[in-house]
Amino acid sequence: MKALTKLTRWLAAMALGCMLAFAVHAQGNLEVDSPAISALKASMQKRHAQLAPLYASGAIGFATDGSIALRDASLLPLAQRGGASALVAAENADRSALYREIARANQHPEWEVDIRNTFAQRWIDRAQAGWWVQRGGAWVKK
Amino acid sequence: MCSQPESFWRRETLGRALAFALLALIALFAPRAHAVEGLRLAIGDISHPALSANDIQLEFSAARSTLEVHIARLRLGDRSWRELHLSCPQASLSAQGVHCSGAQLGVHGRRLPLVLDFHADPAASRVAVELRLSSGAQVRLSLDDEGRFEAVLARLGLEDLSVLASLLSPPGAGELLRYLTRGQVNARLVWEPEGAGRARDSLTLTARFSELAFGTDDGLRAGEGLGLAVELAAHPTPAGWGWQAQVAWEQGEAYLHPLYLQAGPVLDAAGVFHAEQIEIHKATLALEGVAQLAFTARIGRADLSLDDLALSLSGGDLAILGPRWITPLLAPALVERLHFGGQIGAGLEIEDGRVQAFNVVFDAAELSLAAADGGRGFGFGPLTGHLPWLAGSSSRARLQVQGGYWEALALGAFDVNAMLQGQQASFETMRIPLLDGMLVLDEVELGRESEGWLGRASVAVEPVSMRLLTQALGLPSMAGLLSASLPGVRVSPAEITFDGALVMSVFDGYVQATQLHVREPFGVASHVRADLEARHLDLAQLTETFSFGSITGFVDADVRGLELVRWRPTSFDARLVSSAGDYRRRISQRAVQNISALGGAGAMAVLQRGLLGLFDTFGYRELGFQCVLAGGVCLMRGIDGSERADGSFQIVRGGGIPALDVIGYNRRVDWDELVGRIQRVIDDNVTPELH
Repeated sequence: MKALTKLTRWLAAMALGCMLAFAVHAQGNLEVDSPAISALKASMQKRHAQLAPLYASGAIGFATDGSIALRDASLLPLAQRGGASALVAAENADRSALYREIARANQHPEWEVDIRNTFAQRWIDRAQAGWWVQRGGAWVKK
Repeated sequence: MCSQPESFWRRETLGRALAFALLALIALFAPRAHAVEGLRLAIGDISHPALSANDIQLEFSAARSTLEVHIARLRLGDRSWRELHLSCPQASLSAQGVHCSGAQLGVHGRRLPLVLDFHADPAASRVAVELRLSSGAQVRLSLDDEGRFEAVLARLGLEDLSVLASLLSPPGAGELLRYLTRGQVNARLVWEPEGAGRARDSLTLTARFSELAFGTDDGLRAGEGLGLAVELAAHPTPAGWGWQAQVAWEQGEAYLHPLYLQAGPVLDAAGVFHAEQIEIHKATLALEGVAQLAFTARIGRADLSLDDLALSLSGGDLAILGPRWITPLLAPALVERLHFGGQIGAGLEIEDGRVQAFNVVFDAAELSLAAADGGRGFGFGPLTGHLPWLAGSSSRARLQVQGGYWEALALGAFDVNAMLQGQQASFETMRIPLLDGMLVLDEVELGRESEGWLGRASVAVEPVSMRLLTQALGLPSMAGLLSASLPGVRVSPAEITFDGALVMSVFDGYVQATQLHVREPFGVASHVRADLEARHLDLAQLTETFSFGSITGFVDADVRGLELVRWRPTSFDARLVSSAGDYRRRISQRAVQNISALGGAGAMAVLQRGLLGLFDTFGYRELGFQCVLAGGVCLMRGIDGSERADGSFQIVRGGGIPALDVIGYNRRVDWDELVGRIQRVIDDNVTPELH
């Protein structure tokens, strides 16, 4: 069981890595790395182990603005909702920093909004089946 | 109802009006009922300010002991029902009154899932009604000859409430039931009119809600397993219904985004129910982590809007209030890194739904933010003072901070005085002791904009001894001073930029940092960028400080685009050269060996190797190298960026007697490996391996 949990986490981390990689490969000028970007990706991958079950349950979904959102907290026990809310806030802080850092690494800080939009679409496209994503302002289960 | 309580209740209560109506009926018809097999009665209308009934059909069968009552339309207060039908299988009609057992009640052709018993004794002015719902819940209503009305609810569950709500349609019931998912109530309500030793009418309610659960669709407001004990007493006054209540939250948990709350709070309150609003004259809330919390309020009855509020909190324990209330509301992303201590007091005023004033009083408060990488971060405290804020005008905040820290650096006591206006704050000059110097923050302005808190300031560091600074940071002791003049500091959530220069006078020269930026200052990607310029550093002092052997002479260095992540260099373009001028230039055998050791096996070669063991020092004409760090690799070049035909590069060009050249062969040096070697050379004074 423990091995299965580890495997699941590993697969989830790999999936996130692929999502990041695909997102970066989406535009040549986004294929950039820096220690700050690596630190952010590492932080996000570490958190992903906690977030993946919440994506799968539908409690948290991928929003159209490149952030994640507490979509349906009722799927969680009351005592876990505050923690989930804090996870969402921390993940969104990292995501915003990631978009800024990629823009900076490209020497174009003004690209932040475009980068955010590109990532938002890629996060949604690459989300696993059964996860919830926002489309046209509405939540949709993939 | 509430605006005219006396006219409604004092003399012509609903129950009494019904009793009088029944009394009239029985007085008229009961004697004949004994003489006839049955009774059929039709009444056109009964009208009263509190009720009206139209087209009443009543049929009593003495033989079958049944009673059928049909009312085309019944109005009680501002509620009305159509097609009411009461069917009583066991009824009696006599001078002792009307008695009915096991009656069924239907409204508009729909039979309600309840059985009704009632007994009305008009002569004694007593009425008793008992509703038994299919769930086993009971509702007992009684009215005695003194006008005392009592209602007892027993084991009334959510489904029962839905039934009663559909029957009575009380205001707000639909909204309430939409969110309630579970619950049971046991309650007793007593109405006693004035008289019989009572100076005034009074209403008391004792209720206990158990296993209550509610939730919005998105789960952002929810409660489970809630147990509430409610005690309420009320009486009519000229202004409305005066009341006082205690609500104790005894069991369960709730989530009111983003706050997770557990049972424990107890509310004591008193006020007046007006027609349009609920006025709370005085209320106290017993809450864990708070010595006293009192408030007054005015709440709109229609939408439960908080129109006015005056709140006072004292003796707040920040160690409890911080993680439970403050961080989730103000900085949820920092919930694991933000820590609080000490005491807080607070006041808040809301008028017409708008915040008019608030103030916070700190008493030995402590605030710290751990670094994202697990480092110490920064903290301030104990902190004492007053922070008031007024809508539409300015106010002055005064705080005394006993000290603080930033990573390993301790900060001394300082005062914070600021003018607050709207979402802007202007600070008076802050002088923060830093070791034997002073960090001076001048012209500090903070303002909240759409992208978050933005600020600007002028920062100066009045000279700090490098000896104390290096000692505090756990670095080899250095002589000299650190000072800074950074007149244009700009702060945003994403970046802090410093226009100006930070200057360290060390090793008889200086190192100047310009173009300073701290990016993502509060997150995991926090990193520093700067350009460094070092001039005329005394190599003798430098090599002695770092136990690197001995080199006499001076060097200049330029480091462009230095980037530090968690204080470790991740990229730069650096060049180091001997300073111009006429001075003694010698390099010790040990320094040569250490330089060679840095290159690793085979990385460096020393010409005239055979001479190395014969002399302690060697002459040199110049030394220098370049290193461009990117991707963890330092790309090396020699003096003046030179590269020899075989790809090697010269680091030390010999001169004098005996002369010695140091040549590097490995242009691509792994930075982490290089740092590790330097550390080992400094720490262990390893014997270099020469080839």
